[in-house]
Amino acid sequence: MSMETVIQTIDLHKVYDETRVPVHALRGVDLRIDKGEFTAIVGPSGSGKSTLLNIIGGLDQPTRGQIIIDGTDLATLSPNALIDFRKNKIGFVFQSYNLIPVLTAKENVEFVMLLQKRSKAERDARVQVLMEAVGLADRLHNRPSELSGGQQQRVAVARALAPKPAFILADEPTANLDSASTTNLLDMMARLNTQEAMTFVFSTHDQRVIDRARRVITLEDGQIISDLAQDA
Amino acid sequence: MIAKVAWRNIWRSRTRTAVVVGAVILAIWALVFMIAFVRGVVYGYIDKAVQFETSHVQLHNPAFLEEPALALTIPEGQGVMEVLAGHDSIVAWSPRIVVNAMLATSTGANGIQLRGVDPQQEHQLTRIGERVVEGVFFDEGRNQVVLSTSLAAKLNVGLRKKVIVTFQDQYNNLTSAAFRVIGLYDTDNRNIDDVVAFVRADDLRAVAGMETGANHEMALLASDVEMVPQLTRALSRRFPDLTVRDFEEISPDLGLFKSQVQINLIIMTVIIMLALIFGIINTMLMAVLERTRELGMLMAIGMNKARVFGMVVIETMYVSLLGAPVGLALGWATVLILNRTGIDLSNWSSGLAEFGMATLVYPVLETDAYVVIVSGILITALLASIYPSLKAIRLRPVEALRKL
Repeated sequence: MSMETVIQTIDLHKVYDETRVPVHALRGVDLRIDKGEFTAIVGPSGSGKSTLLNIIGGLDQPTRGQIIIDGTDLATLSPNALIDFRKNKIGFVFQSYNLIPVLTAKENVEFVMLLQKRSKAERDARVQVLMEAVGLADRLHNRPSELSGGQQQRVAVARALAPKPAFILADEPTANLDSASTTNLLDMMARLNTQEAMTFVFSTHDQRVIDRARRVITLEDGQIISDLAQDA
Repeated sequence: MIAKVAWRNIWRSRTRTAVVVGAVILAIWALVFMIAFVRGVVYGYIDKAVQFETSHVQLHNPAFLEEPALALTIPEGQGVMEVLAGHDSIVAWSPRIVVNAMLATSTGANGIQLRGVDPQQEHQLTRIGERVVEGVFFDEGRNQVVLSTSLAAKLNVGLRKKVIVTFQDQYNNLTSAAFRVIGLYDTDNRNIDDVVAFVRADDLRAVAGMETGANHEMALLASDVEMVPQLTRALSRRFPDLTVRDFEEISPDLGLFKSQVQINLIIMTVIIMLALIFGIINTMLMAVLERTRELGMLMAIGMNKARVFGMVVIETMYVSLLGAPVGLALGWATVLILNRTGIDLSNWSSGLAEFGMATLVYPVLETDAYVVIVSGILITALLASIYPSLKAIRLRPVEALRKL
């Protein structure tokens, strides 16, 4: 399988200089994630996991080092270009779903495509495909408050996939879900991963997620202490 | 889509939106009413002044305006009267002799302005006959005088009693004559009531030894107040030897009052809008701050600052403008009703009459004021939206998302 690098970090450092006591959140992280990987980033709280995820997601800047997503060095982008980059290249799934509460499931999935100025026909077709893929084709017109947590998170995955991003970044996606919903969500993501070669990167504490990952990267004190491939 | 999200967002907290909408309705209603009330007062003042003091236009011998001497009549008055009588846009006109005189009784004396008039023409012009509360506005008898109830009380004179009128004739000799009080009027306007007494022009000419048909003043009403400037220009051209003045020139305070109304409108709008601005800012700030995480998420998934800013601006506009039509309609209806019934200020009327003001106020509001108010609200909403919108785009997605 020829590998196409989606995420690459080179000697990533992040220092929070809060109240003059420097906190080293990341101390030289070198990482490469290729297209089609299904990767979990784990580690205790304070290990730098969230910082790494924020930097990979283009939401935070490293103090030192380079971050290259899909061939683009993020340091070269202006703030506005960075927002556009996130819109087109990165699909976010958050721990607490973070759907837009006033929009229906369909409108939530459509939202980023509207920001991308896609045609109505294209949007409608893609919403249909995605909502079927996440098993919620019958809940198009429900608002988030009318959906269960598991269903909301699946809508969130559909939303993240909508702009055809280079990868999906999921921050503790199962933290608020029961076992059945977690299994359901993981099955669905695994299917998207194998069938569509969609790259997934999770941060997680959840053993169920770690068990299903095919690569587990462990962070501690801002450094990678292990990087293991495993059978899902 | 942004507009749709914004529209739905304002209904997330119905109470909050309702409070702002209510405030806007109240503010606009109050604004419309206050401005209409002030305009009513001012227009009432102007109307009264026009009715009894200035009319729309007056013509004089220029020299008479400098020194009101008896001999300074309008030259070729007969020709002037023929022109006025035949003019399309003049609905009423009255020739007058105007003399400063002393009105004396056995108990007192008072300096007054004696107006020698043709009773019928004077009544057509000023409807003064309708203000006669006792007696009549002249009958067939000779040497009759009509004065105000207040002046009569001051001079301790009643109907059918005689008063002595004394003035300088054209040779500067003092002339006196006895006139019988035939009517008492009350205009509510001290500027008139305290100083003006009416006599028949023919009687006054006879006493003063003036020629038949001689007059000092022609006062006239145009068919429409809008016609006044045009009419004034036309008459000036027609009678280059006469001074032709419209009511704003005769009584500059009327023009001043009118511009005061315009300033008043703007000041009131600004004050109320300022109060409103802070209310709206407060509400929208709350709406933004309680959605920190959601806004962070929107920026994370690719909504740029311009769009976030725009969304909050649109939300503010919705919240602010939602109540505007209702407030305008309420204000308009209030003004419409009060314009029919009037607001009775008679409890304060003695003070108001002192200034020549009407005691019944009929609020009025023209389109121009509504335009100012609507633009005022638009500007208010825009100004109020800036700070919350800035607050929204200053959020950093990383920090916003971390908040629970």
